[in-house]
Amino acid sequence: MDALLIDPVLARACGSALAVILLLGAWQKLRDVAVFEAAVELYRLLPDRVVPLFARLFPMLEAAAGAALLFESSRGLGLLLALSVLGVSTGGVLINLLRGHTDIECGCGGADGNTRLSWALPVRNAVLMALAVAGAQAGLARPLVWVDFISVAGGTLALLGIYAAGNQLLANHPRLMQLRNGS
Amino acid sequence: MNEALMISNALLWVAVLAALIGLFALARQIGVLYERVAPMGALMIDTGPKVGEAAPSFELPTLTGNARVRIGGAADKSTLLFFLSPTCPVCKKLLPILRSVNDTERSWLRVVLASDGEQPEHLAFYEKADLKQFPYLLSQDLGIGFQVGKLPYAVLMDEHGRITAKGLINSREQLESLFTAKELGVASVQDFIDHQHDHQRA
Repeated sequence: MDALLIDPVLARACGSALAVILLLGAWQKLRDVAVFEAAVELYRLLPDRVVPLFARLFPMLEAAAGAALLFESSRGLGLLLALSVLGVSTGGVLINLLRGHTDIECGCGGADGNTRLSWALPVRNAVLMALAVAGAQAGLARPLVWVDFISVAGGTLALLGIYAAGNQLLANHPRLMQLRNGS
Repeated sequence: MNEALMISNALLWVAVLAALIGLFALARQIGVLYERVAPMGALMIDTGPKVGEAAPSFELPTLTGNARVRIGGAADKSTLLFFLSPTCPVCKKLLPILRSVNDTERSWLRVVLASDGEQPEHLAFYEKADLKQFPYLLSQDLGIGFQVGKLPYAVLMDEHGRITAKGLINSREQLESLFTAKELGVASVQDFIDHQHDHQRA
């Protein structure tokens, strides 16, 4: 069993990075609900009447997942919420990728709100789900010293930096393709 | 020994985070670069016909084919040419605002929607979003004529067919700033503020 336990530093870094990602994502969507609503509609998966409700409920669940992941007592609930939020959005992206309806904005945070649907998104979300699973572990019981807190803070910031840079590259990609094909 | 390891660890974290910030900044700058050199011509205030110049002239059939619309040249009202796309969420958010602008500014302003692409897709969008009150033009040349690189984009022309303001529109405030720019006789509100700063510095 011990092999499945990960170091608490790794668990906490993954958990808090994902929590920040979810909270920021929720804030981005709630700040401009009308835009997110239009993005949901473009996925062409839900009946028109359900779209406004979904566009409000989804970011709230996202925020709840982020907040719940931060605290020890609600970590289990946070994992469940995070996996379902990520699962639903990945499912939506996958269906549209499979039916070739990719020329829409993903509405999934990202840089400038400019990210188009691509296979990179499910991959990104799978990594985020792995972060959720790792972040929900209690981890190996070992006494923590102050260096561990630096490691958690550094690890969290590093994961967020990698995520931001990755998102920016995802947003750049369609423009690069346009440039390659267009000239 | 322990102390040395801790110091090296802390230093490495600083180095890793600095490198990541650098990576993110580079990715962003590359994004801006792609946007500027895109084949369609980029969204920069100084590409395409300039503010103060005469707008290029077009005469195009509307999407439904029952009328022709003239863009550019003298007209009895000012024209707000609004470039949008059915696949642009921000455009959709602005439609109710365009409707209210169309109602309240009716006395001096005509709002024209423009896009390009396949007709069936646009007809579906036209019906669903209930855009019957606007002339809707489908023309690639129009977008090229005004050098539209990013949506939603708006061009405001006065009754003599001169461009009085234009820019990327993301909110009601930005749309209204076009009208303010027209009243003030400057290219954009940002331009106006910049000029004020120049005056203060001089």
